[in-house]
Amino acid sequence: MAGKSGRTINATPSNRLKGAILSWEGLLVLIFIAVVIFCRIISPNYTVENVLREMPKYLSEIFLFFPMAFILMLGEIDISVGSIVCLSATAGCLFSNMGLSFPLVIVTILLVGTICGAINALLITRFPELPSMIITLGTQIIFRGIAEIALGDGGSVAVTDFKGFMSIAGKIGPFPYMFFLVLISAVIFTVISVKMRYGREVMAVGSNRDTSYYSGIKVRRVIFIAYTVMGLMAGVAALFLTAASYGANTTTGTGFEMDAIAMAVFGGIATTGGKGRMVGGIISAFIIVCLRIGLGQINLNSQLILLIIGVLLIFAVLLPNISAMIKAKQKTKAAK
Amino acid sequence: MAEYILELRGITKIFPGVKALNNVQFQLRPGEVHALMGENGAGKSTFIKVITGVHKAEEGEMFLNGEKVNFRGTKDAQAAGIAAVYQHPTSYPDLTVAENIFIGHEISKAGILNWRAMNKEAQKYLDQLDADFKSTAEMGNLSVAQQQIVEIAKAISTHAKIIILDEPTAALTANESEKLYKIVDQLKAEGVSIIFISHRFEDMYRLADRVSVLRDAQYIGTYGVNEISNADLIKAMVGREISDMFPKSEIEPGEEVLRIEKCTRTGYFKDVSLNVRAGEIVGLTGLVGAGRTEVMEAVCGITKLKSGKIFLNGEEIKIKNPTKSKDKGVILLPEDRRKTGLITSWGLGRNVTLPILKKFIKFGFFNEKKERETAKEFLESVDTKAVSVFDAASTLSGGNQQKVVVAKALAQDNMKVVIMDEPTKGVDVGAKAEIYQIMDNLAKEGYGIIMISSEMPEILGMCDRIYVMCNGRVTAELKRGEATQELILEHAMEKSEKEVAAK
Repeated sequence: MAGKSGRTINATPSNRLKGAILSWEGLLVLIFIAVVIFCRIISPNYTVENVLREMPKYLSEIFLFFPMAFILMLGEIDISVGSIVCLSATAGCLFSNMGLSFPLVIVTILLVGTICGAINALLITRFPELPSMIITLGTQIIFRGIAEIALGDGGSVAVTDFKGFMSIAGKIGPFPYMFFLVLISAVIFTVISVKMRYGREVMAVGSNRDTSYYSGIKVRRVIFIAYTVMGLMAGVAALFLTAASYGANTTTGTGFEMDAIAMAVFGGIATTGGKGRMVGGIISAFIIVCLRIGLGQINLNSQLILLIIGVLLIFAVLLPNISAMIKAKQKTKAAK
Repeated sequence: MAEYILELRGITKIFPGVKALNNVQFQLRPGEVHALMGENGAGKSTFIKVITGVHKAEEGEMFLNGEKVNFRGTKDAQAAGIAAVYQHPTSYPDLTVAENIFIGHEISKAGILNWRAMNKEAQKYLDQLDADFKSTAEMGNLSVAQQQIVEIAKAISTHAKIIILDEPTAALTANESEKLYKIVDQLKAEGVSIIFISHRFEDMYRLADRVSVLRDAQYIGTYGVNEISNADLIKAMVGREISDMFPKSEIEPGEEVLRIEKCTRTGYFKDVSLNVRAGEIVGLTGLVGAGRTEVMEAVCGITKLKSGKIFLNGEEIKIKNPTKSKDKGVILLPEDRRKTGLITSWGLGRNVTLPILKKFIKFGFFNEKKERETAKEFLESVDTKAVSVFDAASTLSGGNQQKVVVAKALAQDNMKVVIMDEPTKGVDVGAKAEIYQIMDNLAKEGYGIIMISSEMPEILGMCDRIYVMCNGRVTAELKRGEATQELILEHAMEKSEKEVAAK
């Protein structure tokens, strides 16, 4: 059944180098360089070694960013992850103090996270008419509530068996183990996102859920996996957070969900779904981490740091709109 | 007085990368109704926007009553007495009719709006148009037809000498269209010149004095409506002769491929049985709301059947979800291409390969080159008019989007049955003929085809057998040749008429 007009359709991708440089991700790289230079100027202590030494404090949130990117690309959201981190960390510390061996403690932390994620996934796929924002708001309160009950009156627990946790807080040269794990995760999630079937299905579901369903994509399964992986990665974050602080308390992981969302949005991943790239989020995650370290070094008050990041975030969300507005204005001018 | 109230010469409008209008000319006589016809994408809308000052043409001149004019914006055009009524009324649903009519040119005294005067004035226009609603009614509560009357009243209120109607009857029922025709006649009698765009030949024959045709951004010609035959007009619009609108080949149907027996979904349809054989085109028709789409969606697992059996090649199968339906080779091409058929923000290629992603995976990774080549092959096989597989689906016309949906189905090489839901809805005449040709080719290749359609000509022209549905039940099964428009309508209304009689 050959086309009778003999028309051919081009199937070779155009050279995308120019596009890549002019894209949002290209701009983010420039911002990253600018942030590094800025921090170097304001703080004499802003050296590679110091930054790497302080990094573990902030890196754990990046683990949350990766699956959060998938969830946002799906057009959903998960605001319960901070609480999952808290519950997993609490469970890990308590079991460790009860004498569980360290490998089993790791399993416990990851398992608790994964189960919490699966609970979210189950609720969201079973009740598609409820917004995921509301469901995860509910589980946010529930998960933290369980952690608080477990923590009891003191509201905190310190691990007595340091050894195990210290072993994962180690370093290779100046680089903490965690840094490598973040990089490995970044590669894995990016490859899944651009080179594997699941990544394509996430974008399809996020772009048009009905068309995806009609096309035979298992929409529920795609969503279920994203939330369950979110839980697992919250467990990973909890593990390293515990290793950095040797304990957990009722405020562990507070605000982590918002940081993960901020990294994604700053990286160009729209909360409406179907848009954005993993790479952008990874760059912006490091922008935020570096900025925090730099501003922290000059002893800027932490509230002020939050304020600066908030302003940056709004600016980042507005920027595409502003440029569209300018373009539209130029167009009408030209039309006149 | 000049011979033409409006004349445009040598209009060329260039958008980045495309010539939307190429040396187009147009003449409008005072008091005439002038139809502007052409396929989707021919440049009609752009041309209208040049006249109304929305776009500025790169080249060309425009004369109003013989005087050269140069519109810098829509205000200039309005001031010159040109008003446009668009296909989708651009109104404010929360405001009243009078507020909508007078928006932008309110009656006021010392800066205070005089609502009483505006309501009264608006009512005067509505009465003039024989409207069945009040000027104080809320816009959002009106039907599309009523909203269109408001738009026309708005045009009159600006004392427009030239009124442009863009697809005015597209969303109207036969009765409402008739009313619109009367209004146009009335405006014409009052000396208003009218330009209208329409895909319906009926509109043109009923209303227009002359018709101008655009094709591929070029001016083809202007003809007196009574001087040109239907076939010649289609040829002018499409650029080639459509010798046979319905190229139905005589095919001896083979074995039965799909049979559904006594299928019921409570509240939607009951005891529906039908079958389709290889190489056969089966029509499923009836009034809107008869349950045709619902039956097919349930067969494809999108919704659940309460009871009933489905047989594929004689074997009973269970289809629980669309994935299963896809795996079995029963493919639905949904009616709403933008909502359920395509991901319009995506390129064509990725749309085509969406149901067959599995095929391009090796060791877990995509072979994107193979994916693109496959997409290209199937898009070309249905003659999609597109530059590259990366073109966003949203940029294509309705007919070409439909071809992409067909390509997406064809790419699933286990396909046995194709279910096409209103395949030519929103498709212009040239592309329609191409889609019928594709259907005929599919039949020749031995697929079983079910076409859901409300359009009588295509049901009669393309189908071997026709099932008629009414109120969720199949009321008739007619063979090609025995089916007529009257017979189909009779069965399509059977039940509802009886019910009316019973009341």
